[in-house]
Amino acid sequence: MIVIKNSSLRNVLRIIIPFIIMPLVVLIGAIFLNEKRHLFISLGLVFLSLIFFVSGVEKKNLGTRRLVMVSVMTALCVVGRFIPFFQPITAITVITAIYLGGESGFLVGASSAFLSNFYFGQGPWTPFQMLAWGLVGLIAGHLSNPLLKRKWLLILYGILAGVLYSFIMDVWSTLWYNGSFNFDLYKVSLMTAIPHTAIYSISNFIFLYICADPIGKKLSRIKTKYGI
Amino acid sequence: MFCGDGIIYLISFLGALSLYLFRNGINNPKTHLSSFLFFLILTIINPLVSHNGVTVLFVINNSPITLEALIYGFFASILIISVLYWFRTFSQIMTSDKLLYIFDRFSPKLALIISMSLRYIPLFGRQIKKINQCVKALGSYNEENVIDKAKLYLKTFSAMVTWTIENGIITAESMDARGYGVGKRSRYSNYFFSFPDVIFILLTFVLFMFSVFLIRNKSFEFYPSFSVSFSDESIIGYVLYGIIAFVPLFIEVKEELKWKYLKLKI
Repeated sequence: MIVIKNSSLRNVLRIIIPFIIMPLVVLIGAIFLNEKRHLFISLGLVFLSLIFFVSGVEKKNLGTRRLVMVSVMTALCVVGRFIPFFQPITAITVITAIYLGGESGFLVGASSAFLSNFYFGQGPWTPFQMLAWGLVGLIAGHLSNPLLKRKWLLILYGILAGVLYSFIMDVWSTLWYNGSFNFDLYKVSLMTAIPHTAIYSISNFIFLYICADPIGKKLSRIKTKYGI
Repeated sequence: MFCGDGIIYLISFLGALSLYLFRNGINNPKTHLSSFLFFLILTIINPLVSHNGVTVLFVINNSPITLEALIYGFFASILIISVLYWFRTFSQIMTSDKLLYIFDRFSPKLALIISMSLRYIPLFGRQIKKINQCVKALGSYNEENVIDKAKLYLKTFSAMVTWTIENGIITAESMDARGYGVGKRSRYSNYFFSFPDVIFILLTFVLFMFSVFLIRNKSFEFYPSFSVSFSDESIIGYVLYGIIAFVPLFIEVKEELKWKYLKLKI
């Protein structure tokens, strides 16, 4: 069990992880483990990057209102995942990210992946899902200015996010099956995932097209009214 | 692929399957059937993609299908299926409040977000039902027409979002008023980490290290030709690993017997 209670240790971790531990893990993996062990290294790196991000969130003062908004949007995502065929998680994550910032987007994406897997099955794929959805939110938060101004860019981003998510998750399934990265297997798993990817992209498109304006209006109203 | 040793996969699979069956019985054949189908598909995929190995079974489209690739696919899918079964039991046993107990120490803020969302999920489910009934009562309901149905869902969803955001803000105000973030947050949990737990974890770790040490020489060789060779050391390693894999089942059986015994005493 990892206990990071005191803040000074967290600050040390924030510097150590990206500059020392991560390169070290990759180096050790490249030198001492043979090519069958890519899965170990990638799982380790995913865990490290999640720890890195979380220790950053702990340091900053998020503010009570933003914290509660993040947990509300997370709960909305999880409830929305019960809708058959359509997945509103990406859309809600993106909308939250462009209105409340990339950090909140990452938190909404990652924690809704973690939480909804209590209902859909927890597994070794959970950290990868957390990272994939979190990254979708984080990138959207950093692109918030152009995405807010032009709606077609937002919708395009949603479609691309569906494809990106599928690409990341297929890297994981290939690694899981084979241990090392096999490009033929990767192509096969991408091919078999085409219907899923299409459903993801189409549902992102529909949700963003319909919901971006109303949810955005509500969020920006709350933002100006309560000063989040 | 973690170790490339087929016996280990088989032991792990048997442990996971027996634990799951002991806890749930055979009353959900759909789950088992779907995982068996998954297993078959995964086994077939490997020889279609990988053409290593010397024993050619037959040729499709100028690409040879080899026995070695088929065996490799078999063991790889055994591994994947056993992980699926382990995690099915894991998510039954490790409920969200147990996981929160662990995460709370690591990151209080993230744990707060997650525990608040956990509370909101059933609340939102109930609220959606209420809003749905209201919309129905207002008369805008037509099950025949797909577009009308979609519009209804959209209306419900929009009302839902408004309600959740307002509700969240009220919660935040209340938290601020009660002084969240001023002092240290205390927490309540039903679980505690006792001395026997530490001993148990250490023992499992030592057993695991021993079995890894004893099975360090690969007894399975898949490519170019499939061969198996066991040494005495590796057999002891398999026994040790078997103990680890079946400990959860032993604990379950022990608790079940204890429960039966206590019930008899009443």
